[in-house]
Amino acid sequence: MIEFDVRQEEGGTVVAPRGRLTMVSARAFRETVTEVVERDGGVVVVDMSGTTFVDSSGLGALVACLKTARQAGGDLRLAAPTEQVTMVLGLTNLDRVLRPRATVDEALHG
Amino acid sequence: MAETARRELEADVRPESLDAVHDLLEDWWTEVGEVPVRTRFGFETAVVEIAGNVVEHTRRLDGAPGRRFHLTLTADDRTLLARFEDNGLPVQVDLGTVSMASVEDEDGRGLALALAALDRLEHSVVDGKNVWELECGRG
Repeated sequence: MIEFDVRQEEGGTVVAPRGRLTMVSARAFRETVTEVVERDGGVVVVDMSGTTFVDSSGLGALVACLKTARQAGGDLRLAAPTEQVTMVLGLTNLDRVLRPRATVDEALHG
Repeated sequence: MAETARRELEADVRPESLDAVHDLLEDWWTEVGEVPVRTRFGFETAVVEIAGNVVEHTRRLDGAPGRRFHLTLTADDRTLLARFEDNGLPVQVDLGTVSMASVEDEDGRGLALALAALDRLEHSVVDGKNVWELECGRG
């Protein structure tokens, strides 16, 4: 199961997936971020501190969301990934394009 | 530890069954005992990727109702093992050609992730069933 908390902060919109971002939840995540991009534009920070697990479908959704945000003139940044998420970002080299920041604050203003 | 930690699951081939696979893994780890974090997350990632692959292949090939898979997890003092059997149509898999997708791609990372995390990954067709075997040293 997964839940998405969405909140406005100075500097951007924070989307926090809580639970597992997998084949089961990847589509809902994409839809949530797409709505945020269409409504708010600007910077979207994905707060991964409560995301316990990401699989290849979840990674694909993050790449798609990055493209969506950039096409709208904004950006998508990851913050505070958990250990499993850091591992798969490294194995897939996606840490180079998604460049996770240590904290949400750093991602909003970095 | 001579005895093994063992768990089994039989489930429908559909995306929601991935949650059942996760729950089974969590329960299994409590009995497996100490394993380095990277080994644990790597093995867990590989098991979930192969479960996702079973779901994807079945959906792409026929999507017929009644498709099921069986997962067995076993651990002894040296090795972590997972075995999937599914009753979907036999698939052709050439693991020798698998490579990691580029950072621009939105798919094509599942098998590469599994291979990166495991010491052994094999797919075969036994009695008309797809069989996946995943193995990893406890590290």
